[in-house]
Amino acid sequence: MSKLAISLTVNGVQRQALVEPNQTLTSLLRDELNLTGTKHGCGVGDCGCCTVILDGETVNSCLVLAVQAQGREVMTIEGLAQGIRLHPLQQAFVDHGAIQCGFCTPGMILSAKALLDRTPQPTRAEITKGLSGNLCRCTGYEKIVEAVQDAAGKMERG
Amino acid sequence: MSRQFDVIGSRAPRKDAPNKSTGKAQYIEDITFPGELAGALLQSPHAHAKILDIDTSKALALPGVVAVLTAKDVPEVKYGVSPARYDENLFAMDRVRYVGDEIAAVAAVDLPTALKAVELIQVEYEPLPVLLTVEEATANDAPWIHEEYPDNICAQVEQEFGDVEAAFAQCDLIQEGSFFSKRQDGAFIEPNQCVALMGHDGVLTLHSSTQVPHYVQRTVAMVTGLGMSQVRVVKPYVGGGFGPKASATPIDLAASFLAIRTGRPVRMAYTREQVFLFSRARHGFTHHMKIGAKKDGTLMALDHQATLDGGAYSSFGIATVYYAGSLLGGPYKLPNMRYAGRRVFTNKPACGAQRGHGGVIARALFEQQLDIIAEKLGMDPIELRLKNMMETGDVTCNDLAMSSLGMKECIEAVKSGSGWGEKKGKLPPGKGIGMACGFFVSGAGYPIYRSETYHCTIMIKADEDGGGITVYTASAEIGQGSDTTMAMIAAEAVGIPLEQVRVKSGDTDFGIDLGAYSSRTTLMTGHATKEAGDNLKAMVLETLAGELGIQAARLDIKNGLIKISGGPVDFSAIRTGYIKEHRGWQDQPQSQELTFREAARLAYLRRGTLVATGKYKPPVLGGKYKGATVGTSPAYGCSAQVAEVNVDFETGQIIVERVTDAHDCGQAVNLTSVEAQMQGSVSMGLGEALFEEVKFDAQGRIINASLGEYHIPTVMDMPEVRCIVVESGEPNGPFGAKEVGEGAIMPTIPAILNAVRNATGLVLEETPLTPERVYQALKKQKGA
Amino acid sequence: MLLPPFEYYRPSNLEQALALLREMGDQAHPLAGGTDLLVNLKLKKLAPKALLDLGGLEELKGSRADGGQVSLGALNSASRLASGGPHVPRLLAMGAGALGSPQVRNRATLGGNLVTARPAADLCLPLLALGARAVLTGPQGSREVSLDGYFQGPGYTVKEPGEILTRVLLEAPKPGQGGGYQKLGLRQALEIALVNVAAHLELEPDGKTIAMARVALGAVAPVPMLAPSAAQVLQGAKADEKSFTAAAQAAAADAKPIDDHRGSAAYRRDMARTLTLRALRQALAQAQGGKEVGA
Repeated sequence: MSKLAISLTVNGVQRQALVEPNQTLTSLLRDELNLTGTKHGCGVGDCGCCTVILDGETVNSCLVLAVQAQGREVMTIEGLAQGIRLHPLQQAFVDHGAIQCGFCTPGMILSAKALLDRTPQPTRAEITKGLSGNLCRCTGYEKIVEAVQDAAGKMERG
Repeated sequence: MSRQFDVIGSRAPRKDAPNKSTGKAQYIEDITFPGELAGALLQSPHAHAKILDIDTSKALALPGVVAVLTAKDVPEVKYGVSPARYDENLFAMDRVRYVGDEIAAVAAVDLPTALKAVELIQVEYEPLPVLLTVEEATANDAPWIHEEYPDNICAQVEQEFGDVEAAFAQCDLIQEGSFFSKRQDGAFIEPNQCVALMGHDGVLTLHSSTQVPHYVQRTVAMVTGLGMSQVRVVKPYVGGGFGPKASATPIDLAASFLAIRTGRPVRMAYTREQVFLFSRARHGFTHHMKIGAKKDGTLMALDHQATLDGGAYSSFGIATVYYAGSLLGGPYKLPNMRYAGRRVFTNKPACGAQRGHGGVIARALFEQQLDIIAEKLGMDPIELRLKNMMETGDVTCNDLAMSSLGMKECIEAVKSGSGWGEKKGKLPPGKGIGMACGFFVSGAGYPIYRSETYHCTIMIKADEDGGGITVYTASAEIGQGSDTTMAMIAAEAVGIPLEQVRVKSGDTDFGIDLGAYSSRTTLMTGHATKEAGDNLKAMVLETLAGELGIQAARLDIKNGLIKISGGPVDFSAIRTGYIKEHRGWQDQPQSQELTFREAARLAYLRRGTLVATGKYKPPVLGGKYKGATVGTSPAYGCSAQVAEVNVDFETGQIIVERVTDAHDCGQAVNLTSVEAQMQGSVSMGLGEALFEEVKFDAQGRIINASLGEYHIPTVMDMPEVRCIVVESGEPNGPFGAKEVGEGAIMPTIPAILNAVRNATGLVLEETPLTPERVYQALKKQKGA
Repeated sequence: MLLPPFEYYRPSNLEQALALLREMGDQAHPLAGGTDLLVNLKLKKLAPKALLDLGGLEELKGSRADGGQVSLGALNSASRLASGGPHVPRLLAMGAGALGSPQVRNRATLGGNLVTARPAADLCLPLLALGARAVLTGPQGSREVSLDGYFQGPGYTVKEPGEILTRVLLEAPKPGQGGGYQKLGLRQALEIALVNVAAHLELEPDGKTIAMARVALGAVAPVPMLAPSAAQVLQGAKADEKSFTAAAQAAAADAKPIDDHRGSAAYRRDMARTLTLRALRQALAQAQGGKEVGA
């Protein structure tokens, strides 16, 4: 089957792409659009490294076909910072030591972003539930939770 | 300890964190090269079989396939981790020994083609008996998995320190217990991946997700026959390692050969399933211990046997089996210790090193037995531990020297931090509290290959303009924060702010560094970095002193400013010179004091580019007995933890509700990073205690080779972990620092075991403590 | 991990989708959330010639109440169900909230969970306990199938290859009803249950007598199953510990667990009992309008 033409919004920018039917959204972002902040961890939805926000909801982009993003809005980790100014969540992750190897970080931050968009002042239980699809082997999660709490506070105060 | 530092001991954000937070940090999968080929491996579907024939013709005929390699295409060079046990060939010669053993590699224009070609390689096997357990492998009639190793014994250790039998004769209490653990996986989040490029200059460059660029360089050079100078290994950002990435992988070697063969960049990556197949992670351990004590609680002797299910190859296994014994020498005063350990080959993926190498399960059983001894003697477990605890300056019966040991402080810290006194013995049914201690090397005293090599070398180069310095190190930042640690040590040594230090790491072109394993980097690479920093500072100050016509001893650098003692000195000529050089610039120096920038610029103008070096290897360490090289270290980190659990009697499910953790890291270089290592260790220990187990079917295939079925903790499984950092000031460490990366995992499993025993009365002998295992034990207890 | 090659179709209405299915037969596989299907494709467990993306079918979306009946579109995501809403029974929301992870819940669909028919499926158990019916639409029109009897084996249902599961029908929630959902796994998230139980209770107006009950068990048989003996014990009985304990015992007896690497049959049977008891307590608390006990 020939390639399919799709158009989608990525980080606020309208993009066109020709994709194979069996191409994943991860591959579209990484291989075609060169947005390599989205990571390959397991390919089967077990780890959350490839998390992106699709129309406001987090998804494992390894389990979304690129063609399914037709007409939709995707936010990747590259869409958060304003120029060189980090998004408050990114800054909080940096400040709290919530990043070690960093491989889970883009997905983790996007899960946190989707959580705060929906629940600006989450409880600890809401944070852990919101991040429960993102595995991290380095941090033990404690500093990640602290970072999200801190960012929530700062974002609320504006 | 109250040394005043300007940079060390702070909570400075990590240097790599901003780029990692935005997705800009590049891992192997993010770095591409023009003309790349995709490589793929053919791995054995049989756990044990003879190879009768390999036919690659169909694969070679597939359009898009560029090269196919099997054993006959590469030199017949055996490799491995320990030179005493080089037992691996890149491609199986005539036999496969586990499901996943490598048989061939393909390079093709893209991955689908390469994978298709792999399917087209036809291999004729003659199945051999499959030995999946230690019992099967050590049965009288078991075939030998390696001809060179009779009875499938990979390594055997017999050690005795003191006189164990004589000591037992004086004991009032003899406590015996056993423990069985299951094989684990490292479960680092980034699967192994590499790209090899062969240049027309004859230099092979291998970009690899590794903890040990130097050992990978040596292995690739040795196996390919290239010289060390013709092999460069570059490690970009790495998504975790924890031990299993501490040796060259078959894909490192296969990609290298394919790049040499094709002249094109060749990328090879493990899928998550292949990560499990490669394994090299925690062994399955079986321990039996007999501990003797006096009725006042004095520990007298330990008699210890261990059996390690090693898998098909040795990997780190010799070191593992030694560590499993030697690390019980401390931190308690234990005058007599006997150890018999053996590692057995089985037809499963090879096990290797993982966080807390070799010592984790031995520690779990020992600490569990200590609790039982305390109970039998009517003592509080903490009291028993404090009574037997070594102190700074003590030497263990197996010659491990405690140059610093903040163990008592750690115990006191977790005792008060957890509210032990208010909780122990006073908790409602189902709730339990338990504590344990741990202890680990701060760097292996010897390299893996026998050598007098420095363990690390450092170059620090001052910017020609004087504005900062760059540290060049071949050490491996794998997520633990070593780049930031080295930057902080260099900043402190030179006397400049952290912002003025850049670090370039993970490239064998930058020197020697044995890599990120055995908790060595902070102490060892830190030493070399400090030395290079001290040297650079001396060079700058010497030049400056000459220019000013004063003794260099009157000069110092602090926070980027030149401190001159003994009265005012006119440096206006230097400043004027600098300002003239920078006419029109916005940031001319205006401070009352001369700046490092001006002084370093001057040093460059007088001497040319300023490069200082540093190096480190441990001093000659104790122990003349066989195996003394495993366990001896320039320093030892130690820790204590209290775990609080809830046990659901109706399901057997354990929830760890709180962990209080104290670790003596000598001196925190970066306080946040120390806590981060502690919390990460607790999470890995918790996973090992409760969930993690690699399972096999009867044919030796892994049943749960995914992160969905191999359960590492999610954020919802983690309790709050309260960290207390103890700083004992390690005389052998740079600025007093020693390890935190691995020692911190040691107490986690036994603290949970002891808490569960406190909650239920159960002495559990097998991890992971799955709900079913706990439930069945509770049922048995009820019935008994 | 790579997906095998396939053709991709995205019909814009049900009629088109059914026509395509008829044309391609079992060569085509419907695609909803993909959280299961795409994994199976990557693992080479399935190799259909074409995927039929149901995402454009309005007929499979939304939820509506019609008289005493609620109709949930098969494309409702687990997240949407978990967040509740006017037409989503609380028991279903509880099951949906326990499924996988946020990312998985955002993609996994009601229909997908029913068609995939895994023995421990987090949506199937509540639906079974609620007495739901699946609407299967094929070339001959639609038929309604009770979920009791719908599941045939792991991954197999009474749905014919030419049919699409379009909607799920439920009785509209009434006062005096309550649900309980219990899931036991190793981890607190990203977990397939070792055993899971959904219980549905309807009380008589006296608030004490059980008018009707259903208990659904997961991971104790090749398919999600109802425990008929438990329902029998409960029907007409007093809603108290004694009946619940007897019902839990009956549920355990109804279970048909096997040994596998996740757990033994004996343990699963015991857990079916324990979780049934807990789910019934939870259901009672809900039915009596109290606060939910430990979900």
